[in-house]
Amino acid sequence: MPAADDGPRGAAPAIEVRNLTFRYPGAERDTLRGVDLTIAAGDFVAVVGGNGSGKTTLAKTFNGLVPHFWNGDLSGSVRVHGRGTRKRSVAELASEVGFVFQDFGNQLVRPTVRDDVAYAPLNLGRADWRERADAAVAGLGLEPIADTFTWQLSGGQQHLTALAGALALAPRILVVDEPAAEVDPARAAEIYEHLVRLNERGTTVVVVEHHAELIARYARSVVLVDDGVVRWHLPTAEAMARREDLESADVPAPQVVEIARALAPGSPLPLTVDDCVAALALLADPLLTPPAEAAASRDAALPRRSTEAGSGPESGSRSGFGGASDGLRNRAGIASLRDVSHGYLTIDGPRSTVVDGLSLDLFDDDRVALVGSNGAGKSTLLTLLAGLALPRAGTVTVDGRDTREVSAPELAGTVCYLVQHPEEMFLQDSVAADVAMFPRGRRVAGADELVARVLDRMDLTGVADRDGRLLSGGQQRRATLAIALAMRPRLLLLDEPTASLDLRSRDDVIGLLADLAEHIRCTVVATHDMQLVAEWATRVVVLDGGRIIADTTPAALFADDAVLARARLVPPQAAQVGRRLGLSPVPRGVAELVARLGGAPAEAASPAPDVLSRPAESGAAIAGNVAGTVAGGKEAAR
Amino acid sequence: MSTRRDLDRLSVDWITLELMRVAYATRGGFLAVRDPRAVVWWYVIGALAPWFTYDVGVLAVLFAAALVAALAARIGPLLLGLFLLGIVGDLVYLLVMLLILREDPAAVGTLVLPVLKLGTVSLVSMAAFASLDPEKISDALLAMRAPEILGFAVSYGYRMIPVLVDEFRTIVDGHRLRGAPPRGPGLLGWRLVVRLATILVRSFYPLILNTAKRTRTTVEALETRGFTAAGSVGGAGRALRLAHLRFTVADGALLTATLAVVTLAYWTGGIM
Repeated sequence: MPAADDGPRGAAPAIEVRNLTFRYPGAERDTLRGVDLTIAAGDFVAVVGGNGSGKTTLAKTFNGLVPHFWNGDLSGSVRVHGRGTRKRSVAELASEVGFVFQDFGNQLVRPTVRDDVAYAPLNLGRADWRERADAAVAGLGLEPIADTFTWQLSGGQQHLTALAGALALAPRILVVDEPAAEVDPARAAEIYEHLVRLNERGTTVVVVEHHAELIARYARSVVLVDDGVVRWHLPTAEAMARREDLESADVPAPQVVEIARALAPGSPLPLTVDDCVAALALLADPLLTPPAEAAASRDAALPRRSTEAGSGPESGSRSGFGGASDGLRNRAGIASLRDVSHGYLTIDGPRSTVVDGLSLDLFDDDRVALVGSNGAGKSTLLTLLAGLALPRAGTVTVDGRDTREVSAPELAGTVCYLVQHPEEMFLQDSVAADVAMFPRGRRVAGADELVARVLDRMDLTGVADRDGRLLSGGQQRRATLAIALAMRPRLLLLDEPTASLDLRSRDDVIGLLADLAEHIRCTVVATHDMQLVAEWATRVVVLDGGRIIADTTPAALFADDAVLARARLVPPQAAQVGRRLGLSPVPRGVAELVARLGGAPAEAASPAPDVLSRPAESGAAIAGNVAGTVAGGKEAAR
Repeated sequence: MSTRRDLDRLSVDWITLELMRVAYATRGGFLAVRDPRAVVWWYVIGALAPWFTYDVGVLAVLFAAALVAALAARIGPLLLGLFLLGIVGDLVYLLVMLLILREDPAAVGTLVLPVLKLGTVSLVSMAAFASLDPEKISDALLAMRAPEILGFAVSYGYRMIPVLVDEFRTIVDGHRLRGAPPRGPGLLGWRLVVRLATILVRSFYPLILNTAKRTRTTVEALETRGFTAAGSVGGAGRALRLAHLRFTVADGALLTATLAVVTLAYWTGGIM
């Protein structure tokens, strides 16, 4: 290594990319086209960009995976702390640049957490590998699970383990690809808090991210990658103001920015809910009730529907609301669970309890969101409804048939269950064959036309002959929804349909779900995605520890701190802002919030059946709250 | 249709867990606490011992000793059940042969030999591998100068078991739910058998493709975590990894005792 290349390391930027062009072997065009980028040491950078923009490839040049592992055509240079990456191996760079992959579960190669964290320092022959591993494990609070097998961990724990594995080498730069893709919002925040702490201790952090809210809250600067080049690298506040650029990169501005833009134009753009509330308060809108007062009145007025811990099996819909709903609603039931319990065998012997004495009724036209932290029993509930699992106790009735009496294949004509990872739904070698599998297998009359119609409707005709596994994430979701549509189920069950999708694909899926309503009588979605809950659901069932702790509307849920905290849920920013401003019911989206606060009229498209007209004066706010309570109560009676 | 029971799914769960229990030696046992190199040598002795004799008496003693060792190593109900199933099958076969070869009992004796030999080797293998978790196996292989890749393959293979089982089950479920349902069971349930076989064959393609997709990240991650570098840093990683291995007096005693038992078996058989 030439002396000049070493340079004064303290002064050199963490990462310096000059005129970098890269083409994957066998690819038709360059993935990176003349990238110039400087990341200062100690920065917290968010790299944003649409699918296929080259952001992950760019990130992989930082630790030498490009060009050492992917040896395509490369020109230009990448310097890490002033030293070029071309002559250094990936392993050597690993001590300087830690990398956590997007599908971090596959990054774990050793049986237990501690082994996995110690793996890199061991391989690189660090004599203090044990201390390094222990420090990394302790730094992320992983001691309680240090000896757990990695395949038993939840997604969030796996991510932290992968992070600890990278940190065991004490890199000065940490690259994390989409940390929030597969975990619930509370856990995403937790991961970011860890990253912030590392950053404060001097680690340069680079995240590839498309959740604008997380970027706004945690990053110091933002790099926009578009079509293989870096468009700009700006401080976060300035970056958030470049609305059009962000949207073109499938990173819609955070809701707080949208709100402030509509209601407080000209004021500095807020990056957090606090900033936004403060900015709106500065407007001194006479229409707004002082938040404290409104909150107090609402809390007094709202019925406490959420049952507290340990209330026994008489929780949720069955006790108060299931009974009442029969009188209130004349809609037909499609499925019901009565005192259902279920669990799994564990490696240590005892059977776990995942669903615990749960009762629930699902009705026609319900759009049910099943929420709760990881391990709350959401997926198990779906497999029980699909008849794939039979309850250990209690009964599950779907479309009038006890799932014990019917085989799962027989039930498949009534209930369709879409598993979390779309690739597991692709059993054939083309999308068309997968869509056709059920109708042809069941000898449905006119199966061919049905398949053609479904493919056309889901906009999949162009990729009908391709293998589903090779499609992009958003297209894969579309394809699985097409499979479901061709099964013509009455009850559709989806597990995390928007996980690891970029925001445009996610909005697309939410739109499709709304469209499906006319074909499918009832849809149940297990999800962590509160925006999906806000924009799509008419009913939210909150699970915790295998029991229902609330069965309510999205708006009522977003106003219920006890339930939100217990289920580790974070409402969308619009709901948070609305709540802080004392609106009741809590608004679900930006459009609704803006309309109710007297800004630009909301688009009619906003799906908000329980929107109340905003209170005309401050005195009416309490009356509005009462009205909201009545509406909320009626919704809750489902 | 008669009432379904959850046996199908539960038993799959149970088999998976049982496999994991065996794979990760969660039950303990007398071999689990020994140095992995001693266990491998123990296995070599036990697995070679039955091949140097044709005496039914010697083999019977060895078989009995192996059975005791397997039970003491807590191989668990799944392996034991499978083993017994195999032995019972062999015994039935022997019984039939006994009826046919009534004239020549010596011929039956020669038929017993392979059963006892293979039975002994199976029991010893189960005892050894139910007592070694993947880490210990790869450490032992590494300590015995086997190529690094072999040790890693063992460890990573074990790591993939639960992933593959999960994936496989989802795919089979998908076929069951979305595929053509059988038109009745047919004679002796042949349609069900054909359907099951078809599903198993068709599951192969998605299973392998999905797994290949997963391993792409794994391979990249291994690179960043110094897997290929481990060989090139002058064996420092190897020394560090093996530093915890201790071949103690107890390990020596285990091997001595094993040799003694084998010798004893040959002596009682009167071959020595």
